[in-house]
Amino acid sequence: MKRFISWRVPTKWPVFRLDDRLLLIISGMIVGILSGLAAFALNRSLVFCLDFLHSYRAYWWAFILPAGGAALSSLFLSRVVNEGAGHGIPEVIYAVSRYGGLIRLRSSFSRLVSSCLTIGSGGSAGPEAPVVMSGAAIGSNIARFFSFNDRQRVTLVGCGAAGAISSIFNAPIAGLVFVLEVILGEWSTVNIVPIAVASVAGTEVSRLLAGNQIAFSHHTFHISFHDILACAGLAVVTAFMSVILTRLLRHMHHASDKTKLPIWAKAAVGGCAVGLLGFFVPDVMGEGYHSIRNMIEGVYEQGMTIAVVACFAKVLATSLTLGWGGSGGIFAPSLVVGSFSGLAYHRFLVYFFPSVPWVGEGCYALLGMAGFIGGILQAPLTGIFLIVEITGGYEVILPLIIISSLSATICYYFESASFYMKDLVERGQLLRPGTDARVLSDLSISELLEKDCISVPPSMSLREFVGLITRSRRNYFPVEDPETKEFLGLVKFDDIRPYLFNSMMYDAVFVEQIMDTHVAVARYGEDLSDVLRIMDSRGLFSMPVLANKRFVGMISKATLLDQYRKELMVQTYQG
Amino acid sequence: METKLLHIFRNTPLGRETLLQSIYFCNITRSSMVIYIPEYTKFLMYFDNDVVQVDLDPSYLLYPETSRTHALDLTKAHGIDASFFEPRQFTASTLPDIPVDFDFMCSPRSISDLSSKISLGHIGTRVRRIIKTAQFPVLLTSPCYKEWTSILVFFGGSVNSVKAVRLGLHISRLTGLPLDLFTQVEGSQTMDDYKDRLKQAGLEADFDKRVRDWKVFADNGFEENLYHVPHQALAVLGAYGHGLVKDILFGSKMEVIQSVLSNNLLIVGPRYSAKG
Repeated sequence: MKRFISWRVPTKWPVFRLDDRLLLIISGMIVGILSGLAAFALNRSLVFCLDFLHSYRAYWWAFILPAGGAALSSLFLSRVVNEGAGHGIPEVIYAVSRYGGLIRLRSSFSRLVSSCLTIGSGGSAGPEAPVVMSGAAIGSNIARFFSFNDRQRVTLVGCGAAGAISSIFNAPIAGLVFVLEVILGEWSTVNIVPIAVASVAGTEVSRLLAGNQIAFSHHTFHISFHDILACAGLAVVTAFMSVILTRLLRHMHHASDKTKLPIWAKAAVGGCAVGLLGFFVPDVMGEGYHSIRNMIEGVYEQGMTIAVVACFAKVLATSLTLGWGGSGGIFAPSLVVGSFSGLAYHRFLVYFFPSVPWVGEGCYALLGMAGFIGGILQAPLTGIFLIVEITGGYEVILPLIIISSLSATICYYFESASFYMKDLVERGQLLRPGTDARVLSDLSISELLEKDCISVPPSMSLREFVGLITRSRRNYFPVEDPETKEFLGLVKFDDIRPYLFNSMMYDAVFVEQIMDTHVAVARYGEDLSDVLRIMDSRGLFSMPVLANKRFVGMISKATLLDQYRKELMVQTYQG
Repeated sequence: METKLLHIFRNTPLGRETLLQSIYFCNITRSSMVIYIPEYTKFLMYFDNDVVQVDLDPSYLLYPETSRTHALDLTKAHGIDASFFEPRQFTASTLPDIPVDFDFMCSPRSISDLSSKISLGHIGTRVRRIIKTAQFPVLLTSPCYKEWTSILVFFGGSVNSVKAVRLGLHISRLTGLPLDLFTQVEGSQTMDDYKDRLKQAGLEADFDKRVRDWKVFADNGFEENLYHVPHQALAVLGAYGHGLVKDILFGSKMEVIQSVLSNNLLIVGPRYSAKG
């Protein structure tokens, strides 16, 4: 008996052996604190970079600053840490969806550095996705170090992401909801408690280090019925803008892929374009929180046309920054575009319906943010709770619910998956727990092989074959070359039925005469979903599996169903 | 049961030698071969509790137009029906995922360094990480193609060396080749201690049937005794065997072996789930 229990395997400690909830709560708290620290570090680094470069922004050559930052960011990712560019969150969702939340250790810091270079130099991107990636990687690697299982690891990945969002926005509920709605895609009690604890831990770290400040100051808004009605129109506007940003970003990605330039040069081209755009519309530079503050406080002075131009310019700047290789996320740009949409929509309402007592434009900026987040992420709850928490007021909760839900629904008609998940869905890589695709992806042909088939040589007579059938429970008999052991064909029980009651044929018919040589076969390493597709298209219930031209067993739908049920029980276990 | 070997093909003369080793291994163990011809300089391997990013030496991407033909010509010429792995899963657009459900993987001593650095005594960090994490043994090939006509297992009594013996017996069963054991007696250990460990592992019966010679050395240094390893033997050994540093270092014996022996090495890591 093993007396010593390793400190590296806390799941085997007596206190945690019966139930791992306490272990997950403690681990979640640690992960939440570390994610909070990562978020704080990035926040401070960004402030430092922006302050440091502020004095240079007045020069005519300042447009190359975002180019330099994006190029450095791209070089850092591709040459120093050997990572591909990207937003980070799709990678986290992919890891959760396919590999039990396994994320590389280097991801815990790589995106922090690269996004700091991109955003700090003026690129139009947000720091939230890199911090989520970092927090998730911290959670994943802590789980790996302590040999947690897949389910526990996924929970800690969620804890890291929740701690990061909670810390950066000082919004614990938004962090929790974002993770459950976007990252994990499932709401189970086993996950909710540790993730909630991590959110609180992340928020507390932020409050201890930066003070208990809400991101945008609280204003009291008195919502009337006509404002709630007007929300429907704003939902259409935000959904429209969400679709434009999603498509333009993808278009920029494709254009960048087709351009024959080094990746750092592509990032520099994108950054340069953003720098030039920033000359004419300064609001597009950086994360853009300053503009949001002005809009919420109602001190944004420019008119409706400028607001509309700024809105489209921010969409373009974000697409240029991220699509051409800069590093960062779309969360902050989404808030900026959403608030510009809300503001422009309010001015439109005031212009055309001047006699209606509309609520202040700051309120519409808030609603626009919620609508845009709900649309582009197709995560209405995240939009609602984020806006409520970052503004510290519940007065706008009713229109928030309406606009987020409507915007998410309208977007769904144009983009069937959210921005984060679109690529994953197109590649068939989004496998939520308990879904058919996920269960099948976790099963392999080797697990389903039925190996009790009796192989026969082609020279076997029907008499010998009939004798063999009486000893076998199977209806399928693979025919093998006696020397090379190569698979030659298959004899089905149905194939010999015509001869079975004619004993005259027993010595006249041989296996090679009745075997089916054109039988559909599966290869040992083939994807189960591909094999099933062949079985469905040909109406088969069983198929022989070959490896290196040799028969290794049969695969049948009956065995598949049996294993499918077992796997489904494992994946949906809530204990 | 059918076994599968993963080979990452490098379209260079060194890569040809490595592929020939894989072909020989597959032919003699009747394994099927899966060849991956990389299109990017990096890929990911998701193991049970770890993810390893392999950053390939750029020579793996050389002459892509002839890679497949070269690999096919060699495999067909030696009667192997190899399948080519095309990545379907990508963690990022330039970062494919390679499956890990293989029974063996063939690799030169380093896959991330320039081939000029590959030499005795040098095993690259990525190869070490794969050995440490993988559930399959890794075949580290000699620089030039070399057939092996016997199997030699290094047995020092550790858990991993017992796994190595189990693997050695499995390969001996598959190939029909004779199996030898190599033991350097350490400290106060006696032969009975070593035999007891094999007995406890349930290998006694198979051992008596299959082992041709048990080379036991009590005198001279370990390095000196390695001269007695047959020239044409496949050396099977365990890595990351003992002590507190087992997660960091291969183990001193393993380091000596890989620095001195130019034989093909079949290395069993701590996560290898033994067959046979």
